[in-house]
Amino acid sequence: MKVAVLSFAHERAETYVRLLRDMPGVDLVTADPDGAAGDPVRGRAMAERLGVSYVDSWDEVFASGVEGVVVTSEVDRRRELVDLAGEAEAFVLCEQPLATKEADVKAMVDACDIGGVRLTVASPACFSGAFAAVRQGIADGVVGTLTTVHGSYHSTPSGRGEVDGGALASNAPFLLDLVDAVLDGEPAEQVYAQTNNVLSGHPGVESAALVTVRYSSGMVAAIDCGWSLSPPNGPAVTFVGDRASVEYDASPRLLGGYDAATGTARWEPGGADPYAVMLKDFVSAVDNGQWTGPDGAAGLRTLRIIQAAYESAQTGQPVDIG
Amino acid sequence: MRQLEVALIGAGLIARLHLDAWIGAGAAVRVYSDDGRAADMAREFGARAVDSLAEALDGANVVDICTPTDSHHEIAMAAIAAGVGVVCEKPLAATAEEAEEIVAAAARAGVRLYPAHDVRFAPPYARLHELVATGGIGEGAVGRFFFSAYHPRPWTGHKSARSGGILTDQMLHGVDLAYWIFGDVVRVHAYYQGEIATPAPEGAVATGTAVLTHASGALSQVISRWTATPKPPVRVSFHVSGTGGTVSYDSEWPQEVRIADGEAGNFGYAGESVFVTEMREFAQAFAGGPEPRLGARDALAAVRITQAAAESAWTGRAVELSVKGAA
Repeated sequence: MKVAVLSFAHERAETYVRLLRDMPGVDLVTADPDGAAGDPVRGRAMAERLGVSYVDSWDEVFASGVEGVVVTSEVDRRRELVDLAGEAEAFVLCEQPLATKEADVKAMVDACDIGGVRLTVASPACFSGAFAAVRQGIADGVVGTLTTVHGSYHSTPSGRGEVDGGALASNAPFLLDLVDAVLDGEPAEQVYAQTNNVLSGHPGVESAALVTVRYSSGMVAAIDCGWSLSPPNGPAVTFVGDRASVEYDASPRLLGGYDAATGTARWEPGGADPYAVMLKDFVSAVDNGQWTGPDGAAGLRTLRIIQAAYESAQTGQPVDIG
Repeated sequence: MRQLEVALIGAGLIARLHLDAWIGAGAAVRVYSDDGRAADMAREFGARAVDSLAEALDGANVVDICTPTDSHHEIAMAAIAAGVGVVCEKPLAATAEEAEEIVAAAARAGVRLYPAHDVRFAPPYARLHELVATGGIGEGAVGRFFFSAYHPRPWTGHKSARSGGILTDQMLHGVDLAYWIFGDVVRVHAYYQGEIATPAPEGAVATGTAVLTHASGALSQVISRWTATPKPPVRVSFHVSGTGGTVSYDSEWPQEVRIADGEAGNFGYAGESVFVTEMREFAQAFAGGPEPRLGARDALAAVRITQAAAESAWTGRAVELSVKGAA
């Protein structure tokens, strides 16, 4: 099966390339025509370092008969690539966020619909077996009626705050997609959010974000998705029902102890490697049309919540989503 | 030193815990309750029951108000008028206006007023406060505060959802801690779900979800729950983040003693009760010792913030608070 990774712009592109390169039955091709010439982590230089095949243009990729593409370009180039994939009838796994404007996401969803292929959002925690079990358990009523979800996901400051943008847009989707999956796409009705820039130090780059969402059934989700100086962990989400509650942690502790070399506590994360699980799922979706994980419509619902959250953070009042 | 004379008003669960703690702090206690339960409780603890509020206040140094919230204002004002110091179970009053009146009257009369916000006396929160206050997390950015508990008895009274339910009751703990750690609150938003109005049965299930914006710019998320079962009876946790790192706590972490397996009945060890620590600190202050870790300003702030949460949940709007004087 021919699969392509489109662009090395996103920090996760390398992870995806390595995983796909080592996957049996996958014929991987890469392209990164937008990378600056001479940049060692872009373009042909990067592909050679990773030992994967490389072509010089998007056209060449799509002319080669790819069946699935992973879109890891700059955010503002994602729509163009997804449109091309739709035309080429190639399944798409696209990094978060799909786009920053609702109209672009809609167009991406349409392009894939017309092409008869699925647009899947790269929200790794949604693909794990543990999360599938939680989702099934909630559907089976183990918590009773689900009333409230609260969860957190933190990224560490990259030092490129102004380039990467704020925590709300980049981190909230990882939590909102989990909620969306459990609620089976129930639309949000009202969003309240507050942000600050204590950790970023840049006005306009929010490094803390608390978001509260009320869905149409009255279900409430409260999330914390800011930066943190703690090592990256999560997402960790608690699903509260009127009979019981369930906690899901995508990166629990596997081993503890002490590391004399660094003089710090040892923390070995457990759980499945979410990126490996997600890519395996994507490849089998290309193969047999069976998929899990959020689709383009879910990406659109998440984007609407995030846009409302930015508006709320600015006005200091809840924002209704029509 | 003369023994501290405490007039304990009320004979419910909180009154029992306070009575035990006052006796542990070396106080002499007279108990008054208008529900006829004072005599039995007093006898059990070796205290004295009296027949009226006036009799209870006569000659007392301190009144400890453990009655339903609606009666706090009347009892507190009577005590302040009599020059008797006040300890009051949370919340100080049913409305911010009543709380303001009590605080103003106490200040005018020069009477000490201490709210019984017992969780400030729990070691993890006391240590968190110390860490934050001494710069251990740098500049504070975000705090998350979780409380959940089983409601062990029916919730009495006849309150509509407008009065706030869990937001003005259990959530006061989380709000008080957020305020203690990060200071004044200027904006409050909240949702509530489940059993919000009273009466409600034993084991009533409810959730409150609030976001507080502090004057410093720090943000707090407070989640407060009445759980469906008493397993566990109480769960508290927090996560606080700043420019100097993070601090977290979960009551599910193993402490000095835990039951490793099997059924061990009520056996357990939790260290000194927070009520004992609290009443000892109050007793020392009433005896002329150092001021305790909280006072009238904190009582008022907690009421103003939780009332704002109730208003927000009822109106669907975020509520702005002025920093002046209180919250």
